[in-house]
Amino acid sequence: MPEIPLLDLLPSGLQTLTLILLKIIAIVTPLLLCVAYLTYAERRVIGFMQVRMGPNRVGPIGLLQPIADAVKLAFKELIIPAGANRFLFILAPIISLSAALSAWAVVPFGPDRVLADINAGLLYILAMTSMGIYGVIIAGWASNSKYALLGAMRSAAQMVSYEIAMGFALVGVLMAAGSLNLGEIVNAQAGGFGHWFVWPLLPLFVVYFISGVAETNRAPFDVSEGESEIVAGFHVEYSGMSFSVFFMAEYANMILISVLSSTMFLGGWLSPFEGLVSAETLASPLGSLLDSGFHWFVFKVALFLFFYLWFRATFPRYRYDQIMRLGWKVFIPVTLVWIFVIGVAIAAGIGPWFD
Amino acid sequence: MIALSDFLILGAIMFCLGVAGIYINRKNLIILMMSLELMLLAVNINFVAFSHYLGDVAGQIFVFFILTVAAAEAAIGLAILVVLFRNRQTINVGELDSLKG
Amino acid sequence: MVEQLVFYALSGILVFAGSMVVTVRNPIHAALFLVLSFFTTAGIWLLLDAEFLAMTLVLVYVGAVMVLFLFVIMMLDVNLVVLREGFSRYLPVGILIAVLLGLELSMVVGASQFGLDIVPAPAHHGAGYSNIEELGSVLYTVYVYPFEIASVLLLVAIVAAIALSLGEHRKNRKGQRPEEQVAVNRKDRVRLVQMAAERPDSDTP
Repeated sequence: MPEIPLLDLLPSGLQTLTLILLKIIAIVTPLLLCVAYLTYAERRVIGFMQVRMGPNRVGPIGLLQPIADAVKLAFKELIIPAGANRFLFILAPIISLSAALSAWAVVPFGPDRVLADINAGLLYILAMTSMGIYGVIIAGWASNSKYALLGAMRSAAQMVSYEIAMGFALVGVLMAAGSLNLGEIVNAQAGGFGHWFVWPLLPLFVVYFISGVAETNRAPFDVSEGESEIVAGFHVEYSGMSFSVFFMAEYANMILISVLSSTMFLGGWLSPFEGLVSAETLASPLGSLLDSGFHWFVFKVALFLFFYLWFRATFPRYRYDQIMRLGWKVFIPVTLVWIFVIGVAIAAGIGPWFD
Repeated sequence: MIALSDFLILGAIMFCLGVAGIYINRKNLIILMMSLELMLLAVNINFVAFSHYLGDVAGQIFVFFILTVAAAEAAIGLAILVVLFRNRQTINVGELDSLKG
Repeated sequence: MVEQLVFYALSGILVFAGSMVVTVRNPIHAALFLVLSFFTTAGIWLLLDAEFLAMTLVLVYVGAVMVLFLFVIMMLDVNLVVLREGFSRYLPVGILIAVLLGLELSMVVGASQFGLDIVPAPAHHGAGYSNIEELGSVLYTVYVYPFEIASVLLLVAIVAAIALSLGEHRKNRKGQRPEEQVAVNRKDRVRLVQMAAERPDSDTP
């Protein structure tokens, strides 16, 4: 237990509780800051791809834009539509955000740097992310609006379908790692670039990330929002803070999917140069950047987040039946076949991953 | 310390709620299915409690199979419900009386 | 002490949610209360060291089955007034039977039969214990045939659900046929018409 002043004054039960709460704050605060600046990054990157400027007025190169947006949203009126179910209408964004944040409890940020080091980590993440559907469904139903209900139905069907492909991709990961604990999954990939699971599990990796994009209802799978067809989908009736909570949940989920992809397939905090760089180089100040550490984790996550933005700027929206066909008739068969291939590979002990 | 009987009584209460639900909502097919799920849940609580207190993992295996079967039951049941509604425009159990025999 | 507190809090929520499921007016609310009761049950199972089943319950029931329920309720345009008929008439009978059954069951499973002095509470497993490993080692050895049968059962359920919901509609279903789209020829779609170029009339100025 780390030494924190004044903590010893509390009784031991409260000590543990305070420590856990402090850890939660230490995870959630940077996360929400990342969410805020991800919106800024999104607008800048997409602006760059579409040869425009993006936000550049508030603060130096527009860096204060997210703060200005947050202030604006916080001061807007929270409108509850007539005929809406008041309690559920308020509850829906809360469910969305809490489902998005609770999964972070088992994410490892470094060796032993994790809030809850539980054995069933992967299962826990699947269970918690599946709770996110309720935010959408309840929002759509409680709004008492046709557009909202249509958007909610679309997105619920889509999320349930893609969850299956996602779950099967995770089955491949847990077969390769032999554990459901995320920290152990990272440790199983130790040994440098070639040992990462992305190579033996390449199809599962692709399926997982694309399913993740679909799961978070991002472009090109954003039929649940579909501005041009059903206005804004399930959150059409939301305004002010309740809308921004949905927004935060969506972006927190994006970051979560990126974190999970990098943890399970790209070795999390591990450096790609493990075993390639000599010990002397690692000891030098500049060489220590090549060592495993939190910076590699951040770098990989940022890479996946950039993919998210890139997809959004590049692809046109899928049609609804095309989304369903991709999920059920392409991804699920691919994952099933590849799980069989991994089984054979494990039985044969093909190195350097399965020996 | 929580006694085994506490868990068992909790299971019993949930089971009774399921039974009461079937008596009270005897017209609405969807609520009937939900009451069934409640009863299955009560049984599962008992299985898990016994498994923990007797140190035998077989109880949890049983719950695993019950979950599987109940999920299949719910899927087929709801599919039948949808087809039924499409053909009869009602899910009122009282009006489903066209079966002769 | 903390454990007991958690247990009674969760049981209180569970019983409340369960009673709301069977009495509430709107089926959507009933389904949401059922979700709440599944969730609290998962918490109670965590108290019993059954982490795999707790997670599976949330994953399968809360994440999939209840979504299906909500879906069906929202899609069917049911007349709630008719379905509520006789609610107050059956309520006393329902309560009577529930209370009777509850009394009988609690006589069977009460503290006199399964109290702490008869079945002592086992110690909780340490941090090194993996519920999943223990379940898996039994499931894939002793119970491997039931496991296979369960998987076949699920397959049957998938096929049955799809067949049931597709059956009637297959004739007038609208869908894309990629093979027809690919096989389309330019000749079928475009007709080039030869027309004489229009000549300016010599009469008009």
